[in-house]
Amino acid sequence: MSLLWRMSGRELLHHRWQALLSLLGVALGVAVVVAVDLANESARRAFALSMESLTGQATHRIQAGGQGLDEGLYTQLALDPDLDVAAPTVEGVVTVQGLTLRLLGVAPFAENGVRGHLEGLEGEALTRLLTEPGAVALSVDTAASLNAAVDRPLAAQAAGRTIPLTPVALLAGDPGLDGLLLADIATAQEVLDKLGRLDRIDLVLEPGQAEELARRLPPGVRLEAAEERGDAALELANAFHLNLTAMSLLALVVGSFLIYNTLAFSVVRRRPRLATLRLVGVTPRGLFRLVLAEAALLGALGALLGLAAGWALGNALLGLVTRALNDHYFLVTVTGLTPATLSFAKGALLGLGVSLAAAWAPARQAAGASLLAARRRSADEGRARRLVQPLALWGLGLLTLAPMLIGLGPADHLVLGFAALLALILGASLLAPLAVQGLPNRLAGPLGRLFGPPGRLAARGLAASVSRSGMAVAALMVAVSATVGVGVMVESFRGTVDRWLGQTLRSDLYVSAPEGADALPPGVAERLDGVPGIRERSSGRRVEADTPRGPIDLLALGLASQSPRGFELKTGDPASAWPRVKAGEAVLISEPLAFHRGLGLGDELLLNTPAGPRRFPVAGIFYDYSAVRGMAVMERGRYRELWDDPAVSTYGLYLQPDADPDQVKQAVRGALAGHGEVLVQATGEIRARSLEIFDRTFAITHVLRLLVVGVAFIGVLSALLALQLERAREHAVLRATGLTPRGLFGLTALQTGLMGALAGLLALPLGLAMAWLLIEVINRRSFGWSMDALIPPGTLAEALLLAIAAALLAGLYPAWRMGRAPIAAALREE
Amino acid sequence: MAMRVILNQVWRAVEPRMDTNRRESLNALFAPPLRPLRYIALALLLAACTPEPPPEDGIDVGAALGGAAAEGFARADRPRAFRFPEDHGPHPAYRNEWWYFTGNLEGPKGGRYGFQLTLFRIALTPDAPQRPSRWAAQHLWMGHFAVTDVPGGRFHADEQFARGALGLAGAAQDPLRIWLKDWEIRLEDGAWRIRAAMEDAELALTLNPEKAPVLQGDNGLSQKSAEPGNASYYYSIPRLAAAGRLRLGGESIPVQGQAWLDREWSTSALGADQAGWDWFSLQFDDGRELMYYRLRKQDGTTDPHSAGSLIGPDGEVTRLAAEDVTLQPLEYWQSPAGGRYPIRWRMQVRQLEQPLTLRALLPQQEVDQSVRYWEGAVEISGPQGRVLGRGYAELTGYSRK
Amino acid sequence: MPNPIAALESVSRHFHEGGREHRVLDKVDLEIAAGERLALLGASGSGKSTLLNLLGGIDRPDQGRVLVEATDLAGLSEHRRTLFRRRRIGFVYQFFNLIPTLTVRENVALPLELLGQALDPADALLEQVGLADRGDAFPDVLSGGEQQRVALARALAHRPALVLADEPTGNLDARHGRAVLDLLAALTREQGTTLVIVTHSRAVSGYCERVLSLEDGRLTQGGGAEW
Repeated sequence: MSLLWRMSGRELLHHRWQALLSLLGVALGVAVVVAVDLANESARRAFALSMESLTGQATHRIQAGGQGLDEGLYTQLALDPDLDVAAPTVEGVVTVQGLTLRLLGVAPFAENGVRGHLEGLEGEALTRLLTEPGAVALSVDTAASLNAAVDRPLAAQAAGRTIPLTPVALLAGDPGLDGLLLADIATAQEVLDKLGRLDRIDLVLEPGQAEELARRLPPGVRLEAAEERGDAALELANAFHLNLTAMSLLALVVGSFLIYNTLAFSVVRRRPRLATLRLVGVTPRGLFRLVLAEAALLGALGALLGLAAGWALGNALLGLVTRALNDHYFLVTVTGLTPATLSFAKGALLGLGVSLAAAWAPARQAAGASLLAARRRSADEGRARRLVQPLALWGLGLLTLAPMLIGLGPADHLVLGFAALLALILGASLLAPLAVQGLPNRLAGPLGRLFGPPGRLAARGLAASVSRSGMAVAALMVAVSATVGVGVMVESFRGTVDRWLGQTLRSDLYVSAPEGADALPPGVAERLDGVPGIRERSSGRRVEADTPRGPIDLLALGLASQSPRGFELKTGDPASAWPRVKAGEAVLISEPLAFHRGLGLGDELLLNTPAGPRRFPVAGIFYDYSAVRGMAVMERGRYRELWDDPAVSTYGLYLQPDADPDQVKQAVRGALAGHGEVLVQATGEIRARSLEIFDRTFAITHVLRLLVVGVAFIGVLSALLALQLERAREHAVLRATGLTPRGLFGLTALQTGLMGALAGLLALPLGLAMAWLLIEVINRRSFGWSMDALIPPGTLAEALLLAIAAALLAGLYPAWRMGRAPIAAALREE
Repeated sequence: MAMRVILNQVWRAVEPRMDTNRRESLNALFAPPLRPLRYIALALLLAACTPEPPPEDGIDVGAALGGAAAEGFARADRPRAFRFPEDHGPHPAYRNEWWYFTGNLEGPKGGRYGFQLTLFRIALTPDAPQRPSRWAAQHLWMGHFAVTDVPGGRFHADEQFARGALGLAGAAQDPLRIWLKDWEIRLEDGAWRIRAAMEDAELALTLNPEKAPVLQGDNGLSQKSAEPGNASYYYSIPRLAAAGRLRLGGESIPVQGQAWLDREWSTSALGADQAGWDWFSLQFDDGRELMYYRLRKQDGTTDPHSAGSLIGPDGEVTRLAAEDVTLQPLEYWQSPAGGRYPIRWRMQVRQLEQPLTLRALLPQQEVDQSVRYWEGAVEISGPQGRVLGRGYAELTGYSRK
Repeated sequence: MPNPIAALESVSRHFHEGGREHRVLDKVDLEIAAGERLALLGASGSGKSTLLNLLGGIDRPDQGRVLVEATDLAGLSEHRRTLFRRRRIGFVYQFFNLIPTLTVRENVALPLELLGQALDPADALLEQVGLADRGDAFPDVLSGGEQQRVALARALAHRPALVLADEPTGNLDARHGRAVLDLLAALTREQGTTLVIVTHSRAVSGYCERVLSLEDGRLTQGGGAEW
């Protein structure tokens, strides 16, 4: 056997470029999958960890909607000897150097083991934390990202003011502390302007204690199990990661194609030599094993390389993932990739598994080859041609399965949605060879007229070598369709959000509390009254409201006459809905809320108000893309009455028709000067900023699109290279018969261009189908958003060009090489 | 004395000269009972009690906490005039202060019980904070509560922390009230009322002083080590008649007996080379009381600062110096937590006519909370086994492997 | 020779193999008359295929001139040589070298197509080689003899001046070999095409008017040694 191994080794060395290409193919396929998976997983874990660090070991929490809890409730409960109440918490958002951080205020000696953040804090630091105003502790990593040091005050924007926060200790080791400023509860109350209030009280309760405690709580205050809350919070992040998972899935499919492609080629290319081995007495089984072992070696090496490359690539992606998270939620400092065993296992399995699977069939064929007649390439093609139709049938089957899968489960079943996506992609790939076989033959005539004989030859050659070209076209098609699908989805989403922003932002100017502040300072309304040029104003109070199924956003609206136009109703009649809302007897709910809770017109939404639970009939469902967990709109008078909260978060100002918005804006700023930090923004600014954040969020999808195409590019390159190398003799004959090097170059280039065009054309319908699935099924099932499908012609043209360019570029080297290859040697080779 | 228990144990945890093995064994020793947040309290206590940088360089915690942190606090560096009842109340100018009750009780059927209730005040700043949040606090409070159930053969102990804010814990004069959540010490019309509860035990007692406060050390200035200012103001009420109710599990027992109150406040007190101590408060049936603490040095010898007092039936105080007293352990108890404590002693006091035997009522009176020490009821007997009285002992620095 | 259609003038060609120079052709002179059928004998590796490739413009000499129809192939660029070959040369190979992805008819028509000529002669030629009914088949379903007949048709389709055959029967049994040679001889005679056959089989030389041997890089008259 050792001789055989030696032969294998020499073979690989001799064809080291091809071996390297195979290796590269496997490595890239594995790398992309691992990278996306790692980045996604690391960010998800960091996020989960952050969420966890807020709740710690708590089993339950006491909380109320709106303004939070009165701190007296804690004292009352803490002094009750029968209760083991712990961990009063004040939490909020502060901005430091443009980064959003969470300020977590805890009472160190009342934690009772709920959270371990302050472990290892030295006595002096703890004393300072407890006694110095503005003292905070933060993790070493967070400090690094803020360039903060102990005793160097940070200017923090909180509750509309700028407040110096002084780090008194840097904590190491706990990744859950990232993006967190830890402070004593007194400091947190002062910084966040929450004097006298608590956001919640975290508790560790024994089974059975919860009911007793819940009974003692005043109305409007609720006890809920920690996991209820945790899930709701994590859902936000999960939704974001979902799109990345879809991306990773696409990368997986494309990566598999790539690996299959390269390895199948490497076996097929050597079949004559393998047949010789059979002649000298290697058993079929031995040969089979040899081929598989080689594939395993290549696969393992490639997978190993891929894991390393994936790690590096993942690190690069991580920044993008994290930034998107930070934009939407709060600072999650993912300091590094979490080496997720599962991601690596997935990658290794992919590399090795697909390599073996790819080598399996060719190895079987090589092993079972007849010894009497040397197997000819054309015979393979014959077999492949016979396979094309059954494959296409399978493909059709899968394509019909896809919509069935969608309809199979409940309307929000995500896994089925993904299964449908997979079925769609696989089905389309199985159909690709049919297209490759059929289409070019029809194109042979026109191409011949256009480019002369090379045109005809190129078209025919493509169809005739369907076993190779079909695969390459399928791989490129999947990759390009992924870019179409995701591109169309993102564009549709963006277009929808843009339109929705235009619809929603009806006022000319908005006066709102700055980020991190709960509400506008009192007295803003009076000052606004004195500003000329304002015709009318609406007021909004946005708070978190509790429902039995977790918190939602509640918008209490003081309506202006124009306000209803800011809500586009998906369901419900504006004419009848608004009077009921104005009367305070009904609410409007957002589409995601309706979707996730299964609420329809006339159903009732139960809100836990400080005055006790109240039911509100749903008068209409409006489009909304701002609150993932859902939003309800209520008349402000009714809200004040139930929540006893007169605060206002935002005023929308409608200007006189002849007023100059810029002048009014300046006047408003002037009127509010010295009245705390207040944001005065024109509608256009808000819209532009929203879209900017949107684009930042989806920046990663653009990068991933390019990556996927990159993988496909390598796949096409290796496929074409193999294809062209395999045809060396054929090309030599053509050259001998009188085809010039330039002609041969043209032929090869035309052929690859044709493959690219074919892949691009096939990718368009597939991509659109994927976009439809992503928009109507995947995103809808995870976010509950409806989007207007927007097919940007640019994206389609771009995809087509991308496919052709990738294929042409990949064909460049083989074409150049073919044109220069010595003819004589190729002619004599058997 | 209990403050020193804590200090000493923490001290040892950060002791720099330890070799690795010993550090590991100590880590193992401290790791299980020292839940993270509790450690913070200890760090604070340490901060509160080490004014000087430690003698050897490299004690990071100690060095970090030294010097400046004690600035602004008053020091126990000269004798002072004590005034009662005012001095029963808090002395916030000093960093640490405690109200330390121990006592022996008896049930209607003759069942013997012991108790300890201690409230510690630890100042975070010398001055009251001027901050808008009501959570801002000047003091941190720690409480220890333990009950020895001799008939049941069980020992119960618990611990609480709270900041001195929002009415969670604090000390108020006139009427005097010191409380930590639901644990409370009050002084009304010359009678002390204490109450505390934990899961398995609850205690409510009225304590009537039978003797006037006794100033320990030099007229109440108790020097703890050679360093000037390493001293506390220390007085005791050596005998209070106790009556009240003790709940053990579901059973409420009327109890009566005698208690001892130790009051101490200081800003710093510690010496570095002390390994631990044995502290005794003894109440003889003949009306006399004895307090003695032996400070043990690292090498096992008795520190010359060990001291005590003998109080006659009429309240006359005789000061005891280290050379007046010898202590000889006769029997040991091995704690499952690792320590090996003496539970029977032979005590000879030059000023007493006969040698004493002290015997723990239960071996396992080990307080295993943030810090680990032994604090328990003992019985005093004479040479012929005749019972001479009852008392309490506090043993520190034994919990090591 | 009054009107040579092709000539080698003092042609040398050597290869480097393992650092050693291997002189395959050493100052070879040869003239081939129009319409002549010439057999070139020689042992394996004697350089006869190299000579053939030089004549076909596939290879270039290190020294000397290769004249075909008075054109010095050695002096032409690759491009011009290819165009010349396209018009004037036909090849027949030992291993047939049909394009597997083209049908039989398309294979034959290939040279015509490259020249931009009408493809009709392809059918006529297929008729002549007796494969008119297999025109739509792909090469792989044909027997070896049939494939070589297709190759003959392809080599002659564009009516080249010179047909170069490299061991045309080397991969065929005696019977099919003879049939192919008969056909080759008949077709070239009919078209008046000059034919150069490289072979190591004396049987083949029977079809030729002149037989040369290649030995140690030099040409000698006659059959030389028995191969």
